[in-house]
Amino acid sequence: MTDAPTDTNPTDSAARTPEPAAPTHRPLVVLEKVNKHFGDLHVLKDIDLTIGEGEVVVVIGPSGSGKSTLCRAINRLETFESGTIQIDGVSLPDEGKELAKLRADVGMVFQSFNLFAHKTIRENVTLGPIKVRGLDKDKANERADQLLKRVGITEQADKYPAQLSGGQQQRVAIARALAMDPKVMLFDEPTSALDPEMINEVLDVMTGLAKDGMTMIVVTHEMGFARRAANRVVFMSEGRIVEENTPQEFFTNPKSSRAKDFLSKILTH
Amino acid sequence: MDAITQNLDLFWSGFLRSLTICLWGAVGSLILGTIIATCRVAPVAPLRTFGTAWVTVIRNCPLTVVLVMFAFGLPEIGINADFYTFGLAGLIIYTSAFVCEGLRAGINSVSAGQAEAARAIGLTFTQSLTQIVLPQAFRTSIPPVGSVIIAMIKNSAVVGAFGVGRDLFSVGESLTSAQGYAALPVLTGVAIGYLMMTLPAGLGLGALERRVAIAR
Amino acid sequence: MRQNRKAFAAALAVAALTLSACGSGSADGVKVADKPSFEAGTTMATISAAGKMKVGTKFDQPGFGLKGLDGKLAGFDVEVAKIIAGALGIKAENIEWTESPSKLREELIEKGTVDMVAATYTINDKRKERITFAGPYYVAGQQLMVKSANTKITGPADLKANPDQKVCSVTGSTPAEQIKPFLADPNQLVLFDVYDKCANSLRTDQVQVVTTDNVILLGFVSKSDKAFKLVGEQFTKEPYGIGIKKGDVKFCEFINKTLKDNEAAYTKAWADTAGKVEGAAPATLPEPAPCS
Repeated sequence: MTDAPTDTNPTDSAARTPEPAAPTHRPLVVLEKVNKHFGDLHVLKDIDLTIGEGEVVVVIGPSGSGKSTLCRAINRLETFESGTIQIDGVSLPDEGKELAKLRADVGMVFQSFNLFAHKTIRENVTLGPIKVRGLDKDKANERADQLLKRVGITEQADKYPAQLSGGQQQRVAIARALAMDPKVMLFDEPTSALDPEMINEVLDVMTGLAKDGMTMIVVTHEMGFARRAANRVVFMSEGRIVEENTPQEFFTNPKSSRAKDFLSKILTH
Repeated sequence: MDAITQNLDLFWSGFLRSLTICLWGAVGSLILGTIIATCRVAPVAPLRTFGTAWVTVIRNCPLTVVLVMFAFGLPEIGINADFYTFGLAGLIIYTSAFVCEGLRAGINSVSAGQAEAARAIGLTFTQSLTQIVLPQAFRTSIPPVGSVIIAMIKNSAVVGAFGVGRDLFSVGESLTSAQGYAALPVLTGVAIGYLMMTLPAGLGLGALERRVAIAR
Repeated sequence: MRQNRKAFAAALAVAALTLSACGSGSADGVKVADKPSFEAGTTMATISAAGKMKVGTKFDQPGFGLKGLDGKLAGFDVEVAKIIAGALGIKAENIEWTESPSKLREELIEKGTVDMVAATYTINDKRKERITFAGPYYVAGQQLMVKSANTKITGPADLKANPDQKVCSVTGSTPAEQIKPFLADPNQLVLFDVYDKCANSLRTDQVQVVTTDNVILLGFVSKSDKAFKLVGEQFTKEPYGIGIKKGDVKFCEFINKTLKDNEAAYTKAWADTAGKVEGAAPATLPEPAPCS
């Protein structure tokens, strides 16, 4: 596959403002020159990205642009060939106990919820704290019930995931991630698998988290959420970060031709 | 039916010995099979190679060959043990390959997302396997692994012929050849004995399957 | 198997040619009666009239009934059967041999698959309930075989005191049953389907003792290049009989008389087969038991 000529488009390069938002934030997640291939396909191309503490970054882009892969690479569910990713100053280690420890600090919410099917809702939320953090069961249960209340799941704690609606399951998944007291939360298209009427209940929880100061990296197609909650929008296309800016600037005045093109497709109706 | 009624004590002792072989065999092959299955899905390449080689070699060997290797092969190179130990080891190793594949089918049926979610909350490979993947895999594996265990119960009759003896099948042999009882009634008794193991095993597995199905 | 059968058939054909060239009468020293006459309705008359005889024997018992790689059966039981067939006017090549493993012998006789069974067939009461025995034509005795270096076991009486000395025999055989009272516990007994495996296990130290009839053990001792030896006396009597249909007293008496009349052929048969083994005593025809 040859690089499209637009990749070196001077306008696109110029659109990249080096340190756009909130310099007061302490850098929490730092990606430098990250590259990844799927076979011949170059899915991440020299990704540089810094996310500060308390920042909410929304990653958007057409499908196949590498945004999900980027999100998954941050807690190494995807490997990458070159470059570094640091979480709170620590480079991602290879597989092993060290990596597991680091992952515990990075919450992840998946498109397809991935609640543990054989465990109750409460057990889903307490498993990590008990097994990874060594919390005793009573404390973990207490905390789980608080978190479930926070995401609006009450009186369902003893049910199994399959007995809940998609929206409810995704909110439980958020509670499960929060239970680990993560430094940063990754959301990989959290609403894409949901029926339309359930999307808002999940976005509301996410907006609440953002307001509470959680550091979040959100891959999504929900432009409303991006406008409402994001400090920064990162636009990806063909494995590159093409443009990053405040939501206000990005949506009203996109610099790159591809961002314009993308926005025109999703915002015209 | 005299052949059975007159020798009930013999049948009973043979039944108990076969049952003991089967219980140890089931426990051993389930544990070993799980270990091999773990190897086959491990993130470490040499372990995967080992697991694949184990299954490929053992699953494709007749049980008799495996048992001959133990009972007559190992002593040739100076490794001596009780024939009971040899027979049981052969049965366990042979069955483990099939248990492994039954489990692996179960593991493959657990969506990759489950393991990813487990890793994402910081569980190690072993923890995500034991806490998340295997418990779900076991449920799906109950029918295939159950068939393997029932086959193992029947295979225990072959083990008896490798110096182990006094199992249900050997009792039948002894009654027909040394004591001159007619083969048909004696073998009927032997068959009943095996059914007394395989039928409850099948029923138990069915019940287990229903129970975990509800818990889902 | 098919190969074997073909070879067997070919061998038979060759044997038949050779025989016809020599004229009728005796094949390998066995007398064949010329058109003998028997009382109508007896088994002898039926077989004789049919011109062929169906005999069950072992195919895997060295010295008694062993099918060689050439497909030919050889052994003492085979020769004894030929003597009886000869007296009925049946030539050796007209005998149809059926493999008769221990557990099938009674059934083969009851169903009439064979006219008689000569297959290291120990006479006992349990078996007499289903069939009739002619003979005995030989009395074997159970003995112990150990490695030549073994000094712990000098006879069956030593077994109880040495429970670590495993004793090997064949599943369902009379020797396996008869050794039991001499053992410290049932775990001391190791059972296989054939004695070859016992001998092999003795060689590799998986078992320390092999027990069965002396004649079978002698075969292993002679093949072992002095690695094995027999110890102790024969502690049982195993009278080998010829199994026939239950209640066929006339046939039983005929067999006993035939053996008596052919003692020379009998002695030669032994000397040519099982008796060839080093250490085997010459066989003398035992007094027959009354037929019933």
